[in-house]
Amino acid sequence: MNAVVLENLRVELGGRCVLGPLDLEPVRGTWTLVVGPSGSGKTTLLRAISGLLAPASGRILLAGSVASDGQRLVIPPERRRIGFVFQGGGAGLWPHLSARATIEFVLAAHHVPRADRARRITELLELVELRGLEARRPGELSGGEAQRLALARALAHDPELLLLDEPLGPLDARLRMELAARIREVHVRRGLTTLHVTHDPEEVRHLADRSVRLEGGHIVSQNSN
Amino acid sequence: MSRPLLLAAVVAFALLGLAPVVVMVARVDGADLHAILAARSAALLGRTALLGAGAALIALVVGIPFGFLVARTDVPGAPLWRIAGVLPILLPPLVVAMSWAGMTTLRGGLATTLVLGLCTFPLVALYSARAFERVDGRQEEAALLAGGLRAALRAELPLVLPSALFAACFAFVLAINDFAVPDYVSSIGPKWNVYADEIFASWRSSRDTGSAVASALPLVLLTALALWPALEMRRRSLLTSFSGDFRAPGTLRLGFWRWPALAFVLAVLGVAAFTPLGRLVWESGGGARGFSAANMQASFARALELGRANLASSLTFALGAAVIAVPLGLVLGHALERSGTLGRRLAPLVLIPIAVPAILFGIGGIALWNHAATGAIYDSGWMAVLLFAGRFLPFAVLSCAAATAMLDRRVEDSARLAGAGPARRLVRIVGPALAPAVFGSGLVVFVLSMRELDAAILVPAANSTVLFRLYNAVHFGRDDFVAALALLVVFFVVAPGLLWTLFARRRLEILP
Repeated sequence: MNAVVLENLRVELGGRCVLGPLDLEPVRGTWTLVVGPSGSGKTTLLRAISGLLAPASGRILLAGSVASDGQRLVIPPERRRIGFVFQGGGAGLWPHLSARATIEFVLAAHHVPRADRARRITELLELVELRGLEARRPGELSGGEAQRLALARALAHDPELLLLDEPLGPLDARLRMELAARIREVHVRRGLTTLHVTHDPEEVRHLADRSVRLEGGHIVSQNSN
Repeated sequence: MSRPLLLAAVVAFALLGLAPVVVMVARVDGADLHAILAARSAALLGRTALLGAGAALIALVVGIPFGFLVARTDVPGAPLWRIAGVLPILLPPLVVAMSWAGMTTLRGGLATTLVLGLCTFPLVALYSARAFERVDGRQEEAALLAGGLRAALRAELPLVLPSALFAACFAFVLAINDFAVPDYVSSIGPKWNVYADEIFASWRSSRDTGSAVASALPLVLLTALALWPALEMRRRSLLTSFSGDFRAPGTLRLGFWRWPALAFVLAVLGVAAFTPLGRLVWESGGGARGFSAANMQASFARALELGRANLASSLTFALGAAVIAVPLGLVLGHALERSGTLGRRLAPLVLIPIAVPAILFGIGGIALWNHAATGAIYDSGWMAVLLFAGRFLPFAVLSCAAATAMLDRRVEDSARLAGAGPARRLVRIVGPALAPAVFGSGLVVFVLSMRELDAAILVPAANSTVLFRLYNAVHFGRDDFVAALALLVVFFVVAPGLLWTLFARRRLEILP
């Protein structure tokens, strides 16, 4: 059973169709690049899968269960167990919470017993090489560190599906390569299904198993690497 | 947003803010409406509109340059003057009026307009300052290169004007609904009645809610006419806020002109705050009888002794109102902002409690709560708390809505995807992220409640407030006790904001 299946998915914004209709079924455990020019619907696709946007029609299945059926969100975003790294330099990080408190928040939301939280926090911060920076808030982290914290947060609740929205965008070339390799390592180690949106596929194409090209909201080509 | 939480907040708002208005309007019948058409009503309405327009104009003319100078230029001591610039709106207008009355012979309409204009100019100044700070640095630099400071100002004024006009609309509303200042100015000079007097007199003479409400309808209409464009201006002012790659503008150098600019800033603060406060200090120390520290100590001791219960009442009521208004403001403000078009359509409803004159809102409170079943509430301090919370809730709602508009939506989205439910997101993510605005909205409700007289004047349970005591005292003459009591009121009104400014690392967001 695949982690995510899109059936005839169509999304409208302001009464205008911006995505689809499209079908997509990334194979479990694979890394799929979603590429295309600005405005092609890449971010909209991730927001629809995560439930932050309700589709106009079509279905989204997560691990075999219907998550969105037409305009109805069968499973709300908070119960979809999706990891999402937002576009921008650490965008969407909680400005008032330290790195430790950020991870702790996710674990608490998923009712992880208090006794286990400290260990999980340490593991996650080690995984993204943020040990020693636990007490820092997003505003006190560099761009690369903030993105790594965003990744740790996305992984904290053990998602099966990881959605990456241009996670490398604001970083310099060296950091982009390092972080991409780190994400790939986590992807393999945890057996994740990853959808990675980027407008610059060349530097990460070697990491992906497959790439999908979107233009004008439609899939215009699909390639396996 | 959690539906039960939102439903509870909506019900609370309906009960505290809307029900007093609905109850009043329901009592008006056809016969009551005849009073509106009387020539006297038309004259009073015209005078009141003139007062509001005059006060709003003063607020605009003084507030825009003041806001620009203290927020964006290298005027010496600008950050300090910016904080001090809030003082005039914290001071109860009655206190400013009684202070200036002792120093000039100016009376009547001009005195009333000047006092209310000076007391409301900080609204325009604060909004203008915020709008000037939200101009993208690159836009400004391009204008500076094209034609210097003059060109930059010409490019920025259209961006700032919606914010300034929004604030001026509120200045207008505050001025036309003020009862205490025209009443006080009339009591020490030639009579200069405004519409709020008419409502007060109508209620006092007959205790007839219907005729009091009917007589107030033109004022309600005038207020609504001012608030409607205010909402549009607010929407436009939000459009000029940060874009994704916003770059803050730098400090503008005025060169030689920084000294005349400083003189202007100090003159404004002198007239609106320092002089009235200085006068009160002088009066509390004995004034014309001979100023001394011993006199001052004695007058403060007397004010504390005689006014202790009133101060305690005011503080309790204001704190209670803020405690109620803050969570409601957060839930409703957040929902209002995040519900898009629906929120924009519902925004006028939120303004209803302040769209009716304060005296009328008080009468509505009496009509709503003065029943056998709710007698225990009506007779207790809770009545004042509920009255103030309902009256000033719109400020908390709009303040939190404005802050929500500035909060990156991904901050909330990521909490949602992290598995947090609506209540947890509100308490752990949205609330703390908006802390300066949440605390600021509570502070606004606290300050407005502390200085409120008009809504409380007819409600027996609210007659124990220090402003009511002050209002009675100034009508029986002036002495060092009155001055000391007024200064104590000012202290308690200013103290919370001052403490935040001194100890918090983030700037307080108080603007709706």
